[in-house]
Amino acid sequence: MRRVFVRMLVCVMLIAMIVPLGAFAQKNMTITLWTKESEAEGVLQEIIELTKEFGKAHPGVEFEVVNYGVEDLRQNFQSAAFAGAGPDLLWTVSDHAGPFEAMKLIKPVDALFGAGYIDKFVKPGIEAVELGGKVWGVPLSVGNHLMLLYNKKLVASPPKNTDELIKVGKELTKDLDGDGKPDQYALVYNLNEPFWFAAWMGGFGAWPLDGTEPTLNTPGVVDALQFVYDLKFTHKIVPMECDYDAADSLFKEGKAAMIINGDWSLSGYLTDEVKKNVELGVARIPMVTKTGLWPSPMTSGIYFMFPEYVSADKEAVIKDFVEYICSEEIQLLFLEKYMRLPALESALKSPLVTDDPIVKGSSDQMVVGKPMPTVPEMRAAWDAIRPNQEAVMAGKATPADAAKAMQEACENLIREMKK
Amino acid sequence: MTSMKSQETTLLTTGLRTYSKTRRKAMLKSAAIHFVLIVACIIAVYPFLRVVSISLRPGVALLSTSLALIPKGATLDNYRTLILDKDFTVWLWNSLIVSVATVLIGLLLAATAAYAFSRWKFPGRRQGLVFLLLTQMVPPGMLLLPIYIMVVRLNLFNTYTGMIIAYSVGSVPFSIWLLKGYYDTIPKELEEAALVDGADPLTTFYRIVLPLAAPALAIAGLFSFMTAWNEYMMARVMLQKASMFTWPLGFQKLRDQFTTQWGVFSAASVLVAIPAMLLFLYSSKWLISGLTLGGLKE
Amino acid sequence: MLPLTWDIVVQGIGEVGKLIFFVAVAVISLEVVAYLILVKWLKFKNALPFMLMLPALAGVAILILYPFGFNIYLAFSNMSMYRFKEFSVGWQYGISNLLDVFRVPVLQRVTFFQLFLRTFIWTAINVVFHVLGGLILAILLNRPMRGKAIYRTLLVVPWAIPQVIAALAWRCEFHYQYGFVNILLEKLGLRAVQWMSDPFWAFIAVVVVNIWLGIPFMMVTILGGLQSISPDYYDAAQIDGASGWQQFRFITLPLLNPILTPAIILGVIWTFNNFNVIYLVTGGGPMEGTDILVTSLYKAVFEFYRYGFGAAYSLVIFLFLLVFSVIYLRISGGFKGAWEA
Repeated sequence: MRRVFVRMLVCVMLIAMIVPLGAFAQKNMTITLWTKESEAEGVLQEIIELTKEFGKAHPGVEFEVVNYGVEDLRQNFQSAAFAGAGPDLLWTVSDHAGPFEAMKLIKPVDALFGAGYIDKFVKPGIEAVELGGKVWGVPLSVGNHLMLLYNKKLVASPPKNTDELIKVGKELTKDLDGDGKPDQYALVYNLNEPFWFAAWMGGFGAWPLDGTEPTLNTPGVVDALQFVYDLKFTHKIVPMECDYDAADSLFKEGKAAMIINGDWSLSGYLTDEVKKNVELGVARIPMVTKTGLWPSPMTSGIYFMFPEYVSADKEAVIKDFVEYICSEEIQLLFLEKYMRLPALESALKSPLVTDDPIVKGSSDQMVVGKPMPTVPEMRAAWDAIRPNQEAVMAGKATPADAAKAMQEACENLIREMKK
Repeated sequence: MTSMKSQETTLLTTGLRTYSKTRRKAMLKSAAIHFVLIVACIIAVYPFLRVVSISLRPGVALLSTSLALIPKGATLDNYRTLILDKDFTVWLWNSLIVSVATVLIGLLLAATAAYAFSRWKFPGRRQGLVFLLLTQMVPPGMLLLPIYIMVVRLNLFNTYTGMIIAYSVGSVPFSIWLLKGYYDTIPKELEEAALVDGADPLTTFYRIVLPLAAPALAIAGLFSFMTAWNEYMMARVMLQKASMFTWPLGFQKLRDQFTTQWGVFSAASVLVAIPAMLLFLYSSKWLISGLTLGGLKE
Repeated sequence: MLPLTWDIVVQGIGEVGKLIFFVAVAVISLEVVAYLILVKWLKFKNALPFMLMLPALAGVAILILYPFGFNIYLAFSNMSMYRFKEFSVGWQYGISNLLDVFRVPVLQRVTFFQLFLRTFIWTAINVVFHVLGGLILAILLNRPMRGKAIYRTLLVVPWAIPQVIAALAWRCEFHYQYGFVNILLEKLGLRAVQWMSDPFWAFIAVVVVNIWLGIPFMMVTILGGLQSISPDYYDAAQIDGASGWQQFRFITLPLLNPILTPAIILGVIWTFNNFNVIYLVTGGGPMEGTDILVTSLYKAVFEFYRYGFGAAYSLVIFLFLLVFSVIYLRISGGFKGAWEA
């Protein structure tokens, strides 16, 4: 055994000595890009292609594209930037601007690119990452908003308001195989996820934050909680338990007439395989009859953010790259392939946006959306809403109690965060 | 005569009856044992079989309420996608060399240290063993940020070196406990004889003790391998290069914020679970004799 | 896509080779220095065992002590989101961080004491079932029988599957509609359970997963112990007319003790610190109803940016575990086997 071990050691050492000879040849500039895009939709592969394309025009520039999940990206960037060794460019969601700005880990982009460049993007896209009078990201696409998607094979036209939704919903929830349990649902969505609940909040005239102040214990929030509670327990038009994968799967299989899902999911419902079961229609989430307001899904977007420690010579190249990706041509490519609404004012006027019924439906919904607050306090609001929303959806708390608990939790969290 | 004969037959029949009674009892007992074990085996294996089953499902029907293990329209498409279109082989390779190096270095450090704990009664021995146990009590996540700062200061991020050092040193405390327990069971007389013959203590250790401790070494190696093979948190902060990703990191690529390719994901899960299972299978003959946690064996 | 090219293979082997070379050099130079100091200079009686331990202890010390020290330093700081890079350090911060652990909710609803109680219950249930399950299976297997090797192999499967994968697989199986647990319950005529909405059932779910994961380790350890017990004891007991239970109570258990004690201690530590299962199956939800100390620690630091508080909190958790182990060792008579051998 020992002899084998020694032999292995010798082999390994020999290889170890040969290898480094080639490794220290002239190094070019390598730009590390961290992105939240994964292979699940194919966007990661697209990014890698684009960096190669960019490299052709910029000899000597290489990209290292690294994918992390949204949460991992945030946590990793914090640790990396704290230790002083992180990526050169971030491709991530707008909510990260708040904490990164508070931690002083990124730099404002208006100073970097000049106001003229920033003005080319649509206003809501810029407002979503504006903090303290400065802009902290360059938008790749705006939207990321929820909308009502319906299967024309099951429901001819979408309900216009919530009364209609409940009425149609009761007809569409069916027990097809007669085992006493429904196996076709009227409406599916991620029942316990605050991001979905936020849209309903807007429909009842409520919103989690007013500036940086939590406004969760309001009649609107109570009504919204009562409404989602009723969908599940009173009207029974949503499944008893439904997470993202279940909702997505039910809709794809044609077992759900309607789904509330985001623009990122659209391309997944247009594949040939899904088309066998689903004829996709896009509409606004039905108006809340009680208030006469449209539910307002949160709009945000995908942004480039610039770590504050990147050297000037790298930054010049990175600026070129960002301008390349944010050009009209590439933004329209992302629209066509992945249904991402462009952030450039000029690109939004393209016939690709105005003539396609699905894209039009999506942008129609976006009009009534509200930008997701970028302030770090929003994080506290999410975390405060989640457990209490779960409590209502489990029938463990009344809407009034839950709203009160949300407000208290949110205030506590903000106080702890600011300590 | 007749009475005697009848007596004989009664004796014989009662004897036969008790015999068949104990026999039936033994058979019942054995059947019960087999039944319990079979149920336990099903519980142990079934969840994994379900993963296999999901990996065989075609495209859309990823979630289904059927309990059948071989789904309708079973296909190997997910495996094909995984191996042909994904970086899967790179992830496996990276995990493999990191794990193997961890085992080698971890055993190198632990084998000799455990020998010292087993054979010498020096001052500080107890404290040393307790200190090793204490290291196991550190909550995970507590050392993440400091270790990362260390790694960056030493310029070890984006290398396997940092990870391997962390994993192998991390596996040392448990390995020492395990190996010490096993060395304790090896009679000292063997070494004493060798020492009398004029061998020095180190040679005795390598020539006599180490070969005898093979089962425990195999198990300590298995434990280190599994830790390194499955580690995610540390790898996540240390590796920032796609070509260096180990499989737990690479798997995240198959998932998006909301969507997951469950079919491909399951196929990948099956493929990474198999090497670990084979390793367990291979080492199963040592598993029971080698796992001696500071135990006393006469 | 990134194919496995020759470059990647060579690069990996090269780096690992260099590392092993480096470790060998480091160990040798460390030993030479130790030899010069301990043997030549101090003429130390126990030089040899110290030299044997030195590389391992040095490694462990560096990897644990520096980060641990840094953690204590952070515990006395006010590092948080708004003071991420420019935080200050001082006694007053340390004291307020420590008090906060007991004073304010650790996350947003659960307090330290609730979490502590839950962690205690979690650990106790898990370890009891691990030991009981392991013991029963080991006793059943510890006899000549057909198919023993197959049983043993299959029963070890939960241990062999990477924990991350096992946890994610189980999470799907607790799905209300699609998980086999509910499908099975309904087939048995029972009501489906909302595993992921109800904190009580969610807690049951994570406990079930962790019991499933932990039994094989105990089974294998105990089986090793059983096989080392000489059959003579049982033969003698049978001649004396001892019943099966008496044999178990007076022969098996006492002789298993030296193996069970360390296994239980390790089991307690591992379960107490088990992050993966809860974080991956329920994420601590719903309503923070399945969070235990270590998951709440991770969330406080990485989700709520409370670095200073988190460092103090982690020290408190560590101390609680330490105190428990000391008490358990005192009660159970501890590692007598380990000390005396």
